[in-house]
Amino acid sequence: MNPLHHDKDIRDDIAWAQINKDILKSLENPRRGYWYTVIGCLVLLAIGITAAVLQYRYGLGMAKNHPHMWNLYIATFIFWIGMSHSGTLLSAILHIVHADWRKPIYRFAEAMTTFSLMTALLFPVIHLGRLWNFYWVIPYIPSRGTWPNFRSPLSWDGFAIMTYLTSSALFLYVGMLPDLAIARDNTSGWRKRLYTILSLGWRGDDRQWRVFRKAYMLMAIFLIPLAVSVHSIVSSDFAMSIMPGWHVTTFPPYFVAGALYSGCAAIITLFILLRYYFRWEEYMTLAILEKICKLTFAIAMVWTYLNLVEFASVWYGHDVYAKEVLWGKMTGAYAPAFWSMMFFGSVLPFTLAFQKLRRHIPAMMVVSILLNVGMWLERWMIVSPTLSQSFYPWAWDVMWPTITSWAIVLGSFGWFGLLFLVFVKIFPSVSMYEVKEMVYHRKLAREKGVAHGAVHGHAGGAQPAHSPSMKKEGNP
Amino acid sequence: MKKTHRILGLFSNFDEATNAIYDIRADKVRGVSVDDVTLISPIEHPEVEEALGDRPVYVQFFTMFGGLFGLIGSWLWISSAQATFLVQPQGGKAVVTLVSNFVLNYEMMILGSVLFTLIGFLAGSRLPSKPGSLYSEKVSLDQIGIILELEQNQVEPAKSLFRAHKALEIREEVNT
Amino acid sequence: MSLKNLVTDWPRYRQGIEEGGFQHYEHRWGMAIDLNACIGCNACSTACYAENNLAVVGKERFAKGHFMHWMRIERYWDENYAEQQHPEQGAHFMPMLCQQCGAAPCEPVCPVVATYHTPDGLNAQVYNRCIGSRYCNNNCPYRVRYFNFWSYYESSWPEPLNLQLNPDLTVRDKGVMEKCTFCVQRIRVAKDKARMENRKVKDGEFTTACAQACPTSAITFGDLMDQDSAVTRLWAKHEVSRYDDKGRPVQEQNKAHPELRGYRVLEELNVDPSVMYLERVREELA
Repeated sequence: MNPLHHDKDIRDDIAWAQINKDILKSLENPRRGYWYTVIGCLVLLAIGITAAVLQYRYGLGMAKNHPHMWNLYIATFIFWIGMSHSGTLLSAILHIVHADWRKPIYRFAEAMTTFSLMTALLFPVIHLGRLWNFYWVIPYIPSRGTWPNFRSPLSWDGFAIMTYLTSSALFLYVGMLPDLAIARDNTSGWRKRLYTILSLGWRGDDRQWRVFRKAYMLMAIFLIPLAVSVHSIVSSDFAMSIMPGWHVTTFPPYFVAGALYSGCAAIITLFILLRYYFRWEEYMTLAILEKICKLTFAIAMVWTYLNLVEFASVWYGHDVYAKEVLWGKMTGAYAPAFWSMMFFGSVLPFTLAFQKLRRHIPAMMVVSILLNVGMWLERWMIVSPTLSQSFYPWAWDVMWPTITSWAIVLGSFGWFGLLFLVFVKIFPSVSMYEVKEMVYHRKLAREKGVAHGAVHGHAGGAQPAHSPSMKKEGNP
Repeated sequence: MKKTHRILGLFSNFDEATNAIYDIRADKVRGVSVDDVTLISPIEHPEVEEALGDRPVYVQFFTMFGGLFGLIGSWLWISSAQATFLVQPQGGKAVVTLVSNFVLNYEMMILGSVLFTLIGFLAGSRLPSKPGSLYSEKVSLDQIGIILELEQNQVEPAKSLFRAHKALEIREEVNT
Repeated sequence: MSLKNLVTDWPRYRQGIEEGGFQHYEHRWGMAIDLNACIGCNACSTACYAENNLAVVGKERFAKGHFMHWMRIERYWDENYAEQQHPEQGAHFMPMLCQQCGAAPCEPVCPVVATYHTPDGLNAQVYNRCIGSRYCNNNCPYRVRYFNFWSYYESSWPEPLNLQLNPDLTVRDKGVMEKCTFCVQRIRVAKDKARMENRKVKDGEFTTACAQACPTSAITFGDLMDQDSAVTRLWAKHEVSRYDDKGRPVQEQNKAHPELRGYRVLEELNVDPSVMYLERVREELA
C-alpha cells in the first residue's frame, strides 16, 4: 500500500505554545518572497490606477465600443465575485458538518472572500460612464422621490453583494475574536493596542464560548443560502436579459458552480503561497491540500456538466438566435478563447485526479493558476460573444479588449493581492484556537483508541494529559 | 453576606479542572454553588462546560427577530418606495414587482438575521468589555481558569480545593 | 403616506404587460416607414444630426464603433447578390431608429431609472439621471442606443459650427446614454401650443426631423391614439396594431394576404414597438 496514505491532516502532538508561536510569527517575519509579491502587487496596482485615471479623464471610449457596452470589466467583476464564493461558503458548509480539516485553512479563505468582494465592487463603479454618480444606485432616502430601480438586476446585485460583504466580513471577524485575544496577549506596542480594541476584551469565559458557538453556527447557516443567492443574482444580470446566449435558465447554477470552482482553485494557490511565506508546513499539510484538490476536481466536473447542459439545451431548444450565438462562440473570432476555456476548465482538472500530482506543490501551483485562467476566460466568453452577435445583424462586431481594460484588470489583481497580503501580515491567518481544538480532539480520539475501553468520563481521570505542556507531569 | 471576593485558579490539566467544578457541584466548599463558577478556557470545551450544567443561550431569538424584521421591513420599504416613485410605468412591468422584490427581501432577511445575530452575540457574551484583572494570558495559551465569586470566609476552603486539584496558580481579587 | 398609497392603489400597481400594462396614455406617438419608398439617401440621418445635436465623430472613431447616429440607414445585400438576376437592384435599406417599445426591455434594467415610459408612449432617456451602466443597450434587441464614449463636444463642432446647435435641447457630455426621442422637443412645442389654444394636437401639425427631411415621404409620423391620423390609418390598413389593455394585439394580421406589407421588427420578442415597417416588394424574390 502506498505509504502516502498514512499521513494525517495535522500532527496531533504539536504543543499549544508552539502553535501560538508559529502562527504569531506570521505577524513578524515572512520570507523574502512575501515582500517581492507585495512589490509586484504595487506595480500592478499602479498600472491599473494609471489606466483608470486616464479612462476617467478621457472617457470610456478607451475600453468599449458600440455593441460591446460591457466587456472585460464586467467579465472580471464576475470573476472576482466568483472567487469570493469558495472561502466563506466552504468554510460555512464544512463548519456545519464538523469537518475539522477546515480549521487551519478557513481563515485565509474567508479573507480571500472579503477581499475579492472588495475587488469585485470596484468594477461596476469603474465601468460606469459617470462614476462620480455611482451612489445613485444605493437606496438612500431620496428627497426627490427617485429611488434606484428595484426592478433592475443591477440593483439586486448591489443588495446581494453588500449583504454578502457585510455577512462574510462579520463571519470572518467573529471567528477571529479568540485569536485576536491571543494576539493581544502576545504582542506589544501598536499591535497590542490594535488587538486590544479589536478583540473587544474577549477572555474566553464559558458564557462567551457558549454564545460564540451558537452565533457562529447561526451565521454559518445563513451564509450558505446567501452565497448561493449572490452568484445566482449576479447571473441574473445576464439571465434576466432577453439576449440570446445570456437568457439561459441554467445560468444561476452554472455561475455558482463556476464560482466555487474558481474559488477552490484560488484557495489552492493562496494555500501554497502562505505555506511558503510563513513556513507553515506543519499546519497547511499535504493531506489538507489533497482534500481541497479532490473537492476542486468534483466541482470541476459539476461545472463541466452544466456547461454541456447549456449547449444541449440550446441545441434542443431550436432558438435560431441562441444557436447562432453558440455556434459563433465555438467557431467565430472568439473560438480560441472558448476552446482554451474548455481545455482549462474541463480537461486540465483531470490532473487533480492523480495523487502524485496532487501532492506535488509546484505542479498544483501551476494547475490552480491555469484553472483560474480558464474560469476568467469563461466569464469573458459569457459576456463578449453575445454582445458581438445578438439579435440584430447590423450590430454584429467583434471587439478585442483594449490596453486600458487589460491594465485595469491587471490592476485589480494587484489591489486584491495587496489587501490580502496586508491582511495576512496583520492578522493571524491560521486559526490558532481551532487548530488547538483540532489537535486536542484528534489526540483524545487517538488515545481513546489506544486505551481500548479505558474508563471515560469526568470523574474517571483515566485520560492522559491533554495539554502538551503537561506531558512530563505524567498523568495516569 | 456579600460576595466580595473573586479567586482565579489556573489549571493545565483539564480533567482536574473539570473535577474541581464537579467538587463544587457536590458542595465540597460550603455555600459555593456551581452558579458562582466562571470557566475561562483557550478553546471551546463542551466536555468541560458540561460540568457547569445547563446555561441557556438566547442568540437564536435575536436571529429570528432579525430575519423577520429584514423580510417584512424590506418588503414594506421597497414596495412603498416603488409606489411613491416619481416615474412609474416601466417596460411592461408592474409598478410593484413582487417577483423582484422577493429577491431583495430574501437578501434583506439574511442581512437582518446576520446583523441581529451579531447584536445577540455581543449582548449575550457581554462584549465589548475588559478582560479584568483576573484574566491571565496563560488562558489564551493552554490553561483553563476557574473563577469563583465568594464570600470572605469561603476563600480559604476554595483555594485549598484548587490546590488539591493541582492548580498552577491562584489569584485573588477583592471588590469593595 | 407611501404605505397608504400602496394599499389604495394596489390593483393599479400590479398591472404588468400581461394585464395590459400602463394604459393611461395621452398620446402614443408612432411611425410607419415604407421601405418601398426608401432610397437609402441618408437625408433622415443627416436631419437627425442637425436637429438633435448629434456629435460628428469622424472616420476613426466611427470605425471603432463610437458613433452617435440615432437614425441609421442599414444596408443588407442578399447572399451572392452579384450572381442574381438583377444585381443592379443593390442593397436593401433599413432605416433603424429607436422603436419606442411599449414593453421596452431597456427600461426595467436601468439601475437608476434613467430610462422610463412617458404618458406619451415614449421611451424617455433622462440624461441627468443616467450614470452610464449601459445595461439598457445590452438589453436592446435593436441596438439603437448610443453611448457618449468621449466628450464629443470638444471636437465635433469647431467654431463657428457650434452656432448651428439646436438650442431646444442639450449637448451631452461623456458617460451618458442617448437615443432617438421622436424629436421630443418638437412634440413639446406642439403640445404646449395646442394647450395654449385650448385644442388637441392636430395630425400633421408637426413631424419629426427625419420624416420632414425624407425626399420620398417614406416616413409617416403621428399619434396612434388619434383614430384619424395618417399613421393610424396606415397601421390599420396593414392590420398592424399595438397591444390593447388586455396585452394583446387589437387585430390579428392576416399573414396570407399579399397586400398587407406591415410588420414590426423582431415582433416575436413581445416588446411592442411603435414603429411599423412596410416590406419592400421587388421584382425578383430576394
